[in-house]
Amino acid sequence: MLRGKTSSWRLGILWVSAGLALLPAQTSAQYRAKDTEWPSYAADLAGTRYRPLEQINASNFNDLEIAWRIKTDNFGNRPEYKLEGTPLMINDVLYATAGSRRAVIALDAATGELLWTHGEHEGARGGAAPRQLSGRGLAYWSDGKEERIFYVTPGYRLICLNAKTGMLVATFGNGGALDLKLDDDQTIFPDLTTGEIGIQSAPVVAKDTVIVGAAFREGMTPKSIKNNKGYVRGFDVRTGRRLWIFHTIPKKGEFGYDTWLNDSAEYTGNTGVWTQITVDEQLGLVYLPVESPTSDYYGGQRPGNNLFGESLVCVDLKTGKRKWHFQLVHHPLWDMDISSAPILADIVVDGKPIKAVAQPSKQGFLYVFDRITGKPVWPIEEQKVEVGSVPGEWYAPTQPIPTKPPAYSRNGVSIDDLIDFNAELHEQAKTIASKYHLGPVFTPPVESKADGPLGTLTLGTASGGTNWPGGSYDPEKHVVYVYACNACVEPIGLVPAPKDVSDLNYIAGVAGHEVSILRGPGENAGADSPMPPKKAAASSYVRMNVDGLPLIKPPYGTITAIGLDEGKILWQIAHGETPEVVRNYPAFKERNIPRTGQQTYNIGTLVTKTLVIAGEGQVTTTADHPRGAMLRAYDKATGKEVGAVYMPAPQSGSPMTYMVKGKQYIVVAVSGGPYSGEYIAYSLPAPGE
Amino acid sequence: MAAVAIDASHRTLRAQEPAPAETRSVWDGVFTEEQAKRGEALYQKECKSCHGETLAGGESAPPLTGGAFLSNWNGLTLGDLFERIRKTMPQNSPGKLNRQQNADILAYTLNANKFPAGKTELSRRAEFLKEIRFEAMKPAPKK
Repeated sequence: MLRGKTSSWRLGILWVSAGLALLPAQTSAQYRAKDTEWPSYAADLAGTRYRPLEQINASNFNDLEIAWRIKTDNFGNRPEYKLEGTPLMINDVLYATAGSRRAVIALDAATGELLWTHGEHEGARGGAAPRQLSGRGLAYWSDGKEERIFYVTPGYRLICLNAKTGMLVATFGNGGALDLKLDDDQTIFPDLTTGEIGIQSAPVVAKDTVIVGAAFREGMTPKSIKNNKGYVRGFDVRTGRRLWIFHTIPKKGEFGYDTWLNDSAEYTGNTGVWTQITVDEQLGLVYLPVESPTSDYYGGQRPGNNLFGESLVCVDLKTGKRKWHFQLVHHPLWDMDISSAPILADIVVDGKPIKAVAQPSKQGFLYVFDRITGKPVWPIEEQKVEVGSVPGEWYAPTQPIPTKPPAYSRNGVSIDDLIDFNAELHEQAKTIASKYHLGPVFTPPVESKADGPLGTLTLGTASGGTNWPGGSYDPEKHVVYVYACNACVEPIGLVPAPKDVSDLNYIAGVAGHEVSILRGPGENAGADSPMPPKKAAASSYVRMNVDGLPLIKPPYGTITAIGLDEGKILWQIAHGETPEVVRNYPAFKERNIPRTGQQTYNIGTLVTKTLVIAGEGQVTTTADHPRGAMLRAYDKATGKEVGAVYMPAPQSGSPMTYMVKGKQYIVVAVSGGPYSGEYIAYSLPAPGE
Repeated sequence: MAAVAIDASHRTLRAQEPAPAETRSVWDGVFTEEQAKRGEALYQKECKSCHGETLAGGESAPPLTGGAFLSNWNGLTLGDLFERIRKTMPQNSPGKLNRQQNADILAYTLNANKFPAGKTELSRRAEFLKEIRFEAMKPAPKK
């Protein structure tokens, strides 16, 4: 079946929740969520991932049991092994995206019973989408009477559903769907079916506006300097009428156009907002975390600072007009993007209350601004950085570096960062590192040479640091809690792009190895022109490990608590069991290596009244638990672990929590390796159980 | 409207059957160089666009080397990994490759992870592959 207003499938529609009839009537224009609900992807529009619940606490976390679970295999024609969603919970109903179809499911939040499901068959357009699979979630809107669910399909259509029935809302857009490839102040090329643009994150609803960004294929090896642009738009939640658009790459005559030399704003694309958007409804301000322009690692064909690439942009909720912006990275060359939701924080600095916005990042800086004015709360200083030597590249001579708080994860590589369990391993690591260019944050990529350097060895770039799950925030104590990978090392080398591969002068690659285009899954892989013949066996690639151990020393992954009133790190812990390869390494058998955390970058945290909760991103087997991963709880005041509960697979979507009928639940998405996607709900056993 | 019966609550964890001590592991030379070469050509064509030239993965596809990959499969069997590849990959056309091609790609993946090659090819039969343990750790005596 082709996409279109009549293309949805429904397995069935049931609406029998007795609880719904008992709901208090909502009289305000906007739905006011209760603390017991989770009405937005990050709990609220402030991006906090916080609920002040405490039924589940340090004394009983270990007692948690699985209340219900739902595999997502059947929400699509093939299982998915990368379930990244965080559900919503409103009025005792849990809503989530699920499965390779990116279906929407509504479940009884207490029992997990499936109430309805909705999916869109988009045919070739869905198959060509740059961002496939189930995505990260959806948005909810209510005026007190009507309830609506919004999500964006892989084929980039905004769908509006009746939250009670799962049916398309006929009065929205074109029979319940808006084609986001249209009315975008650009003509999406080459055509609506295959034109590269989509999104995997959840749309945001603020007041009566639904806001949608854009995402593209991975940008290390694009075929062209030219691509579609990732503008951000606001639509009327009732009709789908476009209310505003913000040009993340300014059009001629607009502010910032002159930061694209040689008219490069005309053809450069990407620069979307692919991650979560944050809104202050009271102030009527929207915070847009903008990603990198085309391409990630080479910008010689887009000289200039490239606004609003890698900028935090504040726009008016009603008009989309820019209020202020701050570019975190000038002339981006590291794929730092801005990868996660800005966090709104009302803090007190030196006795002065500040409405702040705090931005976690791949590069391990937490950038903190007055969210009304855009002025940094603590000075962010332009510092001289290394100017590289890749032919044709344009380099920004300085980059903004926060003076406070200190970086919460590694963002450069030096010899001191290499594995040092013993001298032999350290020497081996140095031998590997000697093939690369090393340096602190903002050390630029190099042209890859067979006799060295092969590339720049980086931390805090493409993977991060903090990637899409972002941070979390306790609005009572004014503390940000944020996970970061400290060992997700990324070698970045550039090679001349063969003309039959790309019209870029340089793309990511390794000297002596065949150059190729990285794609997202599900794209048609057969259409490429023949590749140049030169190549070496991939087993000859330099691996970022030493005798199977990570090249970078522990901690591999951390959770950090950052006090925003003081701008300082309160505590930092290694998150995640020590991987087997380290724990069981023969030379370490007799050593009691402290917990190392894990080399994974997609972990999100949840904050409750007393706890910080996060699952592990890797599988381990220990004396305490069978093969699996643990959902861990920490005392949020100290970082001390207070409990852990078993998951059959790694956390792949960030946890959320809610209360229904007097019972607190924690729901987390797990998947990976042999384990297909599953949402698991935990709660405490009833008294006497 | 028909009701939907999805009974996920009765799913249990995938039981991990302990491998008999005498079975082989990925450290015992379970594929040949020649097979890995065939697998490489297939990998370049069918897998590389998502998992990357160096098997390092991308934002949309997991790495096929390194800690996360090894931990995902450590303690399971090559049969488990083979079936995962065979049933779900390539993602845009699962089932496109035959068993022999999948076995060759698996051989290439093992080779790229620096597991040793040997004298016999990796079988294309899942039941044989289930007898080969995926062990992330190199056994101590075989340095």
